[in-house]
Amino acid sequence: MKKIVALVLSMMLLVALLPSVVAVAADKRVVKVASWDVYGSAANYHEAIKAGFEAANPDIEIEWVDLASQEYATLAGSMLSAGDQTDVFIIKEIKDLQNWTEQGFLVSLDDMVATDAYDLTGFAGMDEVCRVADGSLNALPFRSDFWVLYYNKDLFDKAGVAYPTGDMTWDEYADLARQMTSGEGIDKIYGTHYHTWLSAVVNWAVCGVDYTLADGNYDPLKYFYELNHALEDEGVCMEYGELKAAGLHYSAAFYQGNIAMLPMGSWLIGTLIKEKANGTFDFDFSFTSVPHMDGVAAKSSFGNMTAMALSKNATNAADAWTFLKWVCGEEGAKAIAAVGTRPAYVSDAVAAAFSSVAGFPSDEGALDALLPSSVSLEWPPGVLVPQLQTIVNEEHTGIMSRESTIDEGIAMMNERAAEVLGN
Amino acid sequence: MAQDTRMLPLKKRSKLHRKNTLIAYSFLAPNFLGFLIITMLPILFTVGLSFLTWNGGVLENMKWAGLDNFAAIFKNFSFQKSDLGITLKNTVFYTLATVPLTILFSLAFALLLNKAVKAASVFRFIFFFPYVASIVAVCTCWNYLLMKYGVVNSFLNSIGFTMTKSWTQSKTLAMWALIIVAVWRYAGYYMVLYIAGLQNIPGELYEAATVDGASAWQKFRKITLPMLTPTTFFVSIMTTIACFKVFDTVILMTDSGPGRATKMLVNYIFDLSFNQIKYGVASAVAMILFAVVLIVTVLQFRVEKKWVNYF
Repeated sequence: MKKIVALVLSMMLLVALLPSVVAVAADKRVVKVASWDVYGSAANYHEAIKAGFEAANPDIEIEWVDLASQEYATLAGSMLSAGDQTDVFIIKEIKDLQNWTEQGFLVSLDDMVATDAYDLTGFAGMDEVCRVADGSLNALPFRSDFWVLYYNKDLFDKAGVAYPTGDMTWDEYADLARQMTSGEGIDKIYGTHYHTWLSAVVNWAVCGVDYTLADGNYDPLKYFYELNHALEDEGVCMEYGELKAAGLHYSAAFYQGNIAMLPMGSWLIGTLIKEKANGTFDFDFSFTSVPHMDGVAAKSSFGNMTAMALSKNATNAADAWTFLKWVCGEEGAKAIAAVGTRPAYVSDAVAAAFSSVAGFPSDEGALDALLPSSVSLEWPPGVLVPQLQTIVNEEHTGIMSRESTIDEGIAMMNERAAEVLGN
Repeated sequence: MAQDTRMLPLKKRSKLHRKNTLIAYSFLAPNFLGFLIITMLPILFTVGLSFLTWNGGVLENMKWAGLDNFAAIFKNFSFQKSDLGITLKNTVFYTLATVPLTILFSLAFALLLNKAVKAASVFRFIFFFPYVASIVAVCTCWNYLLMKYGVVNSFLNSIGFTMTKSWTQSKTLAMWALIIVAVWRYAGYYMVLYIAGLQNIPGELYEAATVDGASAWQKFRKITLPMLTPTTFFVSIMTTIACFKVFDTVILMTDSGPGRATKMLVNYIFDLSFNQIKYGVASAVAMILFAVVLIVTVLQFRVEKKWVNYF
């Protein structure tokens, strides 16, 4: 018995030693990159990046440091503060970028960008967000999701109404939604659908303008609340109260096939393609740019992004910069777009790669919507932002359930935000 | 193993006594260690955190804050506008409504099912079921029942009320939706305790009362209720503590809304710690919750002697 145990233990030791032996054998320079879900739900784009980058740079090897998704910010933060030698860190939320810059964990990329004359225009302004903490560029935008307007092509065909276009104003969108609404009971067709989130109803106020939800003044939301209430009262969209009580998911609502339009984030594109292939629904769908406010450039949207930063403890900073340039630039963007992930870098070639995924809507409007004129942040980073988010979301539920009037709710948002901001 | 030490000479006795004590401690140790690590340490950590600022991450980020966290939550305190005031008011209201209703219903069910009703055990199972059912499933069902065009509103409309909203979407009814679910959920469990209490009441008391010509109501008032006071006391303590800790049904049914109409203390703590990542301030609110529960429980024990009869 003892012999067997000893044998098993020594075998286990041997197996444990094996990977390090293999790593030593490979004569390559290694760039270590911290990320999450590397071998899980996000395996596809991690594989695409590793394969694409190593093919372009045969003497550099990418080694992923896989951290638990839920704890990513905490784990990565502790690694950075403990002097871990991982070269590159993906930044999940902009507030982490701010936090880590303030704590001096990251290297400014401004000099390297200047030396290499690296072109930042493809980031459609998202690179400005990476200057959040101290004005210098502390990360490069990597992935980005922004909001588009999905629509059910079959419903528009049946009604003989032209598809929505990327240059509508919100009033034109509302009229189109009214036009598409018909029927009663089980034959009811809703012109549009608002998910219960704050972002789905009023975040449009930040698109293409110099206004953020952290400014402390929520008067600009009034137009969108009034629009939503009017459409709800006319039966053009489902009631918030019912959606909230039933906990209906926006995708499930859209799959039912009785909703003509749905403003939602670009993450839904991949899901819709997959679910249609699975047979969850059988109508044709497409999407276009979200409507815009009067006086604002068409194709302005809002969204979120993840970025990549260089650690000050990096042991291989030169190769890490080569990797950053590649992965956040057009080549890396094409690589991840080809497997259905939205990169932050925007160009015709990237859009073409993204739309080459099987099942992607074939019309030009959809391709065009992948090239927004600007993408504002859903919420800007900031120390007080989480507190403001709680306040605005709470008052949002009051307004949407009609327990407060729009004016009362917005007044409460302004009052409570002023308390937080100390105005 | 442990030995009886009484018959041994003194020296040997103390040695053996020590051995026996050690054996006893060793049996206690796993349980005590578990309690220490899983319960006591986090509690002490929370107490400590309430005097620190910490936004998560490494422990070096912790800074001494003194009473700043408490000052922050008591700033502009009011029951109409500040978070602490509103959540405290909501939690107390919820508790004051839920505890008596739970006692009332669990006692009523117990009285009904204690008698030799046909299929009593089936009914006991039915009433006990909510307590063991998945809370997510339960809340989803109640959400549907209490919807605008749900069963409850349809019934109320048919008997002359005008219900125009989902209960969870109305500032006044949302709280009652939570209270109904809580009473519905707890009543079956405490019914079991009341049945046990009822079965402990000696039958002679009722026989003597019957001989004296007491009515059913008199027997209930003068025998059943007084004999059940220890159970009632226990139920009131347990439900009060459970009510102050309410969290899951709020998240699942009303999400603290509409506005802040059903935001409870624990939901406030949750938001502070896991949305705003302000562990210090959240711990300070947790201390307030602890203090409130402690005061209420001590008060309950104080007045215990006045109304609880132990026979």
